[in-house]
Amino acid sequence: MGNMRKMAITACSLFLAFGLAACGSDNNSSSDNKTNNSSGDTASNNASSNTSSNTSSNANASADKIDTSDFETITYVMLGDKPKNGQLEKVMDKINAIMKQKINAELQIKWVEWADWQTKYNLLLASGEPIDLITIGTDWLDTWGNAQRGAFLPLNDLLEKYAPETYSEIPQEDWEQSKFGKDIVLIPEDHYTQWVNHGLYYRGDWAKEFGITEPIKDFATFGKYLQGIKDNKKDVIPWDAAGAATTLYTGFAASETDNIELPISTGYVNAFYGKSYDDRYTVDSPIFNDQFIDFAKMTKSWGDAGYWREDVLNYKGDTRSELRAGQTGVDAHHTQTYKNLRVLMDKDQPGSELQMFSYSDTRNNLISMPITHGGTSVGAHSKHPERALMAYELIRQDKEIYQLMNYGIEGVQYEIKDGVRVRPAGYDEAKDGFYTDFWGGRVDKFEIPTDQDWSGIGDIYKKYDAIKKPFPYGKFVFDKSNVDPEMTAISQVLGEQMPAILAGKAGDPEKAVAALRDKLKAAGYDKVKDEIQKQLDAFKASEQG
Amino acid sequence: MEVVQKRIRTDGTSLFVRCFGYLFIGLFALCCLLPFLVVVGTSFTKEASIAKHGFNIWPREFSTFAYKIVFENPDLIIGSYVVSICLTVVGTLVGLFLVAMTGYALQRPDFEQRNGISFFIYFTTLFSGGIVPFYLLINQYLGLRDNYLAVLLPGLMSPFLIIMMKSFTRSIPHAITESAKIDGAGDFTIFMRLILPMTTPALATIGLFIALGYWNEWYNAMLFLSADMKYRPLQLFLYNVITSADFIRNSSAASNVPLRDMPLESMKMATAVVATGPVVLFYPFVQRYFIQGITVGAVKG
Amino acid sequence: MKTIAQSAPPAPAAVETSKRALRARTKRFWNNRTLILMCVPAILFFLIFAYLPMPGLYLAFIKYNYTDGIFKSKFIGMENFRFLVMTGDLWRLTFNTIAYNIGFIIFGNFLQIFVAILLNELRKKWFKKVSQTLMFLPFFISFVIIGLIAYNILSYDYGILNNILKSFGAEPVKTYSNSHIWPFIILLTYLWQSTGYGSIVYFAAIMGLDSEVVEASEIDGANALQRIRYIVLPWLKPTFIILLLFSLGGVLRGNFGLFYNLVGANNTSLYATTDIIETYVFRSLMNNFNFSMGSAVSLYQSVFGFIVVITANWLVKKASPDNSLF
Repeated sequence: MGNMRKMAITACSLFLAFGLAACGSDNNSSSDNKTNNSSGDTASNNASSNTSSNTSSNANASADKIDTSDFETITYVMLGDKPKNGQLEKVMDKINAIMKQKINAELQIKWVEWADWQTKYNLLLASGEPIDLITIGTDWLDTWGNAQRGAFLPLNDLLEKYAPETYSEIPQEDWEQSKFGKDIVLIPEDHYTQWVNHGLYYRGDWAKEFGITEPIKDFATFGKYLQGIKDNKKDVIPWDAAGAATTLYTGFAASETDNIELPISTGYVNAFYGKSYDDRYTVDSPIFNDQFIDFAKMTKSWGDAGYWREDVLNYKGDTRSELRAGQTGVDAHHTQTYKNLRVLMDKDQPGSELQMFSYSDTRNNLISMPITHGGTSVGAHSKHPERALMAYELIRQDKEIYQLMNYGIEGVQYEIKDGVRVRPAGYDEAKDGFYTDFWGGRVDKFEIPTDQDWSGIGDIYKKYDAIKKPFPYGKFVFDKSNVDPEMTAISQVLGEQMPAILAGKAGDPEKAVAALRDKLKAAGYDKVKDEIQKQLDAFKASEQG
Repeated sequence: MEVVQKRIRTDGTSLFVRCFGYLFIGLFALCCLLPFLVVVGTSFTKEASIAKHGFNIWPREFSTFAYKIVFENPDLIIGSYVVSICLTVVGTLVGLFLVAMTGYALQRPDFEQRNGISFFIYFTTLFSGGIVPFYLLINQYLGLRDNYLAVLLPGLMSPFLIIMMKSFTRSIPHAITESAKIDGAGDFTIFMRLILPMTTPALATIGLFIALGYWNEWYNAMLFLSADMKYRPLQLFLYNVITSADFIRNSSAASNVPLRDMPLESMKMATAVVATGPVVLFYPFVQRYFIQGITVGAVKG
Repeated sequence: MKTIAQSAPPAPAAVETSKRALRARTKRFWNNRTLILMCVPAILFFLIFAYLPMPGLYLAFIKYNYTDGIFKSKFIGMENFRFLVMTGDLWRLTFNTIAYNIGFIIFGNFLQIFVAILLNELRKKWFKKVSQTLMFLPFFISFVIIGLIAYNILSYDYGILNNILKSFGAEPVKTYSNSHIWPFIILLTYLWQSTGYGSIVYFAAIMGLDSEVVEASEIDGANALQRIRYIVLPWLKPTFIILLLFSLGGVLRGNFGLFYNLVGANNTSLYATTDIIETYVFRSLMNNFNFSMGSAVSLYQSVFGFIVVITANWLVKKASPDNSLF
């Protein structure tokens, strides 16, 4: 024991000593940061007070007065794997030549590769490294959460001066949706048309063969299509899904109820929805609707009928390539993917007439995408946020840079034929392929249509435009700090119960749904619901007040 | 050794044990080989055929497309090999020396501080500061971003290996150290001249573990070596291939991700083959030292 | 920490002796200087790479704000631990994790020793080499791929297992909806993957065995079983104890890759028997990356492991002082 005690003492004292040393150094550095920050704040305050005092006198001249005498390197964090064929460097050289000349800076893309991207993306923010520009997305990159943790620099005072065109291009309404509290923490990708509403893809030729001549508009008819495959196509698994399709849940909510999704993530699927577009300030949940039991019965009957594999929950195959190989008849994703896949299918399975049953088709329950699905923020510890915004302004407002960034070099990556972007003759994907994954502020005004997109997509857009309702929760940021553990518990319950229900593998549907509801209640569903309702009421008051 | 064996009569029990050994080890080795053959077979199978028929040892529809993609840029993969091999060789040599040295010192019964230091080392297996402080340490305090040292240094030693070494070295009688001390040799000289040569099997084992650690390491590389580095360790390169394929397919989280065509399953298998191949060739080489260990032991007494 | 509190201040009479003791100790310290110097690289290494980041465990008790940094963020006490207790799953998860680890330790070590001893009995060199190399292969196959292979064997409609069953006219089994067989599948996969790798340690230990002792026993007429029972096994005991103590420290840490890829993120019908702390935490944090909560879980696992190891080491020390870790 004597030895033990000595050891414990040495260990503890060592631990304390070094712990303290590390604390000390950490403290220093963080206090350094603090002072840096505060000085940065005062500087920007000064700047803003300068601008505000100047704006009255010479507002137009202020843009010319920006000091760019020091050459700066601006980093831009993007998600994706860096292209390795050397094309990226060539394009970046061109972009940076313009950047150097216009703002005396160069742009450097920092790739967060897909391998463990969540860890890397969040670590990058958590470590307090100086980041200039970074891709964000409120619905998939936990941007509000990160904003709450102080990851981004408030841009209120900087935008007008350093990104004036973007600042005026984005309407005040959209800026309101980019705020956390009072701070503008992101620049939204609000001028780019894309539809990421989900639906099921099916083969038009097969549907016709089974006597379904009208476009499919509901799950019941879709079930007939699946049965048709089962009956008529030997060796084809009607819907060879990999894992339980969460898409069915979204589909249920849009197709069988009037619920509209709230921007509150509860993991596997989102439990909390608004009651309907008209009654959007009332919390509701598709799970607690009566129709959900019927829906669970439907998935059970689909599963029992063998529309998907017995062990669908563990299957990891690639449904999309199976569809393209003619081995399955269904795939699920959103419209943006469809316009691409349709072209590929026309090539792979000529005459397949791939169609999309969009969930909004049933009862026109279609809400526009939040404008903060994509966007760009400035890191809290950025050393030169001013120049970063200027660089962003160029990417978004300079046609040449924009098209270089998104399409590459004309003549190498693309050619324009009758106003349509096509691949040049002799284009080799391995050698000439190029992408930047710039999802932080694409704009329609510089987009060129491409032959990679299905030409009929315009009609679908028109269909959507006729029924779409604006996304009503842009300015609603749920503060979950009061119910954080309950939210985590609810996510757990959903993750543990929902997949089996959606795959029809949870036994008796009525019992399974009842069990799910009980567990949700036990996990604090009501408490969270009340909290959301409280905040929605406040939101309603601010909207209407 | 074998000569000695043959002189002794082989009794029934021993013969039975030996036969059983051949049978059991043979079967077990086969169990290990079969799935690997599945991996090899699938890597040469056409993607569409995999979706339809599942995996197979013998490809139904032969295709080398997966390898074409993995080797899309041969200089990249060769560079990755070079990086991985260099890291493994340098790391193993340095690490092995340090581990062996520490292990020897810590097992000396006359070394008073050995328990304290052992505990100091062992304690780190239980508690770790977590990923954020470690990331800050490597990136900000040591400034090793995009530096191979960020992968090399943390892999040099592990408490497990030091304690293993300590235990292996203990089998060398302390009398050897003592008599050498009487002859006037210093501790370090004893370690270098006497102990090191006697511990070849232990060194081979520990070295093998260190080497495997380096060869399989991708996590630190993923955290600290960014895509700006042209050549990164092989495992990271391959891991990226696997995960980005996975990610692109399950991209409902990020609906922005464009559709890129890839032979997904076969490519995963191909990466496994590429990553494992060299080690299969390397292992028998290390094995020599295990066998050698026996003779050293024989001379020793 | 208790031990510190217990150490009473030295009585005045003892001061003189303690002074002498101090001098003696300094002298011994000086005598050991080379040995200490030999440990310096290792000490520095662990100091920098393990101890320096350790204060970061403080993360478990704060609401981490990136702008403020770790030590300026708000202290919130045990709040980060609450989510673990909320659903009442903690007990089940702890139980599952420990049960699996104990299974891995017992069966894993048994099989590793078994294989190492058998390998040692074999005489054909080429056979030894080839089989050892083959047994090593699974170690290099990533869990992602192991998961895919397992599915191809076990799947209901097209799996190899069911194809075989069907060809014998037997009923196919629904492996992926039967949670009771999964502990065995996971254990078998673990053994399959780690035995070749793990047996290396024991094999090397056997190689260190003095061959004269072995020969002497053979000349005395001991057969293989007797030799194994009375010479080899006792020889392996210290190695086994060290490996045991090492694995006990991580008794609450699960092998995420193994479970996640075999069971999958979706198959909730198997969770009763396959959910461990790591997979649970992964699901909790998937869409809300919270480093503080992660730290909280890790701290729970560390403290638990620490208590287990200290107890086990104390027991070992009582039984055979030479074999304890520290």
